[in-house]
Amino acid sequence: MKLYLELIILLPLFGALINALCGRHLPRRLSEWLACAAIGGSFAAALAAFSSYSSPVRIEIASWLADFDFSAPLALYLDPLSLSLTLMITFVCGLIHLYSVAYMAEDPCYVRYFALLNLFVAAMLLLVLAENLPLLYMGWEGVGFCSYALIGFWYKEVKNADAGRKAFIVTRVGDVAFGIAIVWLFMLCSTESIVDLNSMGGSIPPWKLTAIGLLLLFGAAGKSAQAPLMVWLPDAMAGPTPVSAQIHAATMVTAGVYLLMRLFPLICLSPTVLAAIAITGTLTALYGASCALVQRDLKRVLAYSTISQIGFMMLGVGAGGITAATFHLLIHAFFKALLFLAAGCVITAMHHEQDIYRMGGLRKTAPLTFYGFLAGALCLAGFPLTGGFFSKDGILTAVWEQGGTLYSALYTIGLLTAYITALYTFRTLLLVFGGDCRSEHKTAPVPPLMNFILLPLALVALAGGLLNLPTVFGSGLLSGFLAPLIVGPVIDPSHSTELALLLASSAAAFTGIGLAWLRYGGGRRQLRLNEAEQPLGGLSAFLFHGWYLDDLYALLFIHPFIRLSQFFWKRVDEQVIDGSMDRFAGLLGRWGMLLGSLTCGRVSLYLLSFAAGAALLVGWLAWLMFSAGGG
Amino acid sequence: MTVPLIQIIILAGIIFSLGLICTLVWRSNVIMLLVGIEIMLNGAMLVFVGGSYRWGAPDGQIFALMIIAMTSAEVSLALAMVVYLQRRHKTVNVDDFHELKDQ
Repeated sequence: MKLYLELIILLPLFGALINALCGRHLPRRLSEWLACAAIGGSFAAALAAFSSYSSPVRIEIASWLADFDFSAPLALYLDPLSLSLTLMITFVCGLIHLYSVAYMAEDPCYVRYFALLNLFVAAMLLLVLAENLPLLYMGWEGVGFCSYALIGFWYKEVKNADAGRKAFIVTRVGDVAFGIAIVWLFMLCSTESIVDLNSMGGSIPPWKLTAIGLLLLFGAAGKSAQAPLMVWLPDAMAGPTPVSAQIHAATMVTAGVYLLMRLFPLICLSPTVLAAIAITGTLTALYGASCALVQRDLKRVLAYSTISQIGFMMLGVGAGGITAATFHLLIHAFFKALLFLAAGCVITAMHHEQDIYRMGGLRKTAPLTFYGFLAGALCLAGFPLTGGFFSKDGILTAVWEQGGTLYSALYTIGLLTAYITALYTFRTLLLVFGGDCRSEHKTAPVPPLMNFILLPLALVALAGGLLNLPTVFGSGLLSGFLAPLIVGPVIDPSHSTELALLLASSAAAFTGIGLAWLRYGGGRRQLRLNEAEQPLGGLSAFLFHGWYLDDLYALLFIHPFIRLSQFFWKRVDEQVIDGSMDRFAGLLGRWGMLLGSLTCGRVSLYLLSFAAGAALLVGWLAWLMFSAGGG
Repeated sequence: MTVPLIQIIILAGIIFSLGLICTLVWRSNVIMLLVGIEIMLNGAMLVFVGGSYRWGAPDGQIFALMIIAMTSAEVSLALAMVVYLQRRHKTVNVDDFHELKDQ
């Protein structure tokens, strides 16, 4: 078991190292296949670990940080949660790596690309398998660095480099909160081991627990693009499409949700934190879905949909539905990777055109891509009996079962979001694949490898529901597997409630799809295309610009910061500090000139001043003498 | 008859002041400047001698003798320089010598 766990992380790491150190001297094919084989081997090791898994294991590889009573060894922890995530990550990332071989076939910087991609996976696996918080934080930052480097992969365009920097800086804001929480937890519990921390929640004063929970939530919000730190994700589309797929599906954005699930036994002791998580998730889900409704860029639609879906996962965590959240995380990884990779095929076919209003007719010209995208879209929209339907419904059920005014309201908003999700998903689908080809160019052929990759993902995404069927239809495999994780009461709704909720979800999905068909299907399509020529107004513009959050943050933080820096630069540094030095030097100089003008070279003047000085001295002595005599 | 010390000091002061005034005022001739300095030195010497007499100690008189020796040396050097300056600048006016000033 120890060997398997080590291999899971070390293989991608070695792949990254070899490519980074001597990738340039290897043939292109070898370099590419090395990267893929590293992830493939990692997947094989994960499968082996799965087959020999019986109970949670903790292995210590080496000591790392140790000082007095502080210790954070290189220790890994495998339990159902980390195991299921490891399987998903290695599987999805392996496919994305294969896809990248075809997608990046023209790019000269493939060595840097594959090295970073491997490192990205290694960092994410470290994050998932880490047994203590400092080690998890190392993976956390590694993921952050790789995302920065990959989002700005085509850094020669300022826009892309800026997007990378934005992702890095915004997530850093959340990381600060996470870092504080790590240190605080050690101060309170004298341990950094996640397993120990999870069992020590009761010994922490409630208000401190709430504060730590909120800090963790803020840290997770940074990584997982939740309110209020979600602004970096739409811009992160600047990177290559497989990178977007990897960031959105398997690595990076799920890290925040994973963190909250990992520490759930600790944070679930504070109802305030749970409510905050649920509210954050719901608001973000609504935000993402509403913004996705009017986007024109294919990848931005998907980016906003990711924000929205991660919001659902947060909602699941907040409602205590760890199983449901994990389930949705896994299924979302499959169908979001599928959607992004299909989008990559579309973009390749359209000669790097990303505006969905200029696409069309791809159903006929790229049928394989169409079916792949359709499968992903059905899952995203929550079409009944697909994986996405069951996973999203699981979360909504968990929320419903919580009861109370707050959670009822959240359920309603969640259902509304599910409806909007169906609407925007099929809007995109119909605009991209429906109608006739609008582009002047003929569609470019999509490499068969890229289309082929869509197949396994589509199968897993569509059939993923079987992993965790609602209890109406039988027992959930995943919930049985994840059962050891569950703390507190098991969510076990009655069958009638469950059926009713399933029907409500189906109704939301069908309404959304139906409305999308009514607006964008058939002959109405041309109407919308004409409308799209007009500038956006009112609500549409508001949604298109992501609720103007970027402008709001610019107004609230960036402009004041720039003004403050300019104040310090122009006023404090240049005027006060430099100015005072300049004036002091000028003063000394003028004194020097004044004294210098005395040295006129006339001996008589020197003598006179000499005599005057002597007279002054004598006078002073005389005064001293007389005053002393008088006194 | 003993002259009180205070009177000697007053006399020395008068001599010193006269020498100083001579130095400061008579600027058209370097030699007069040197003469002024000599007069001031004589005033100072007088104080030494008077003080020596007052307290019956010989060191003041020894100093006076040393000053006499020193001034004679100084005057001979100074006069040599005056001759040199006169040859070089064709003048002995004090105010005309200002080479030490920076240009």
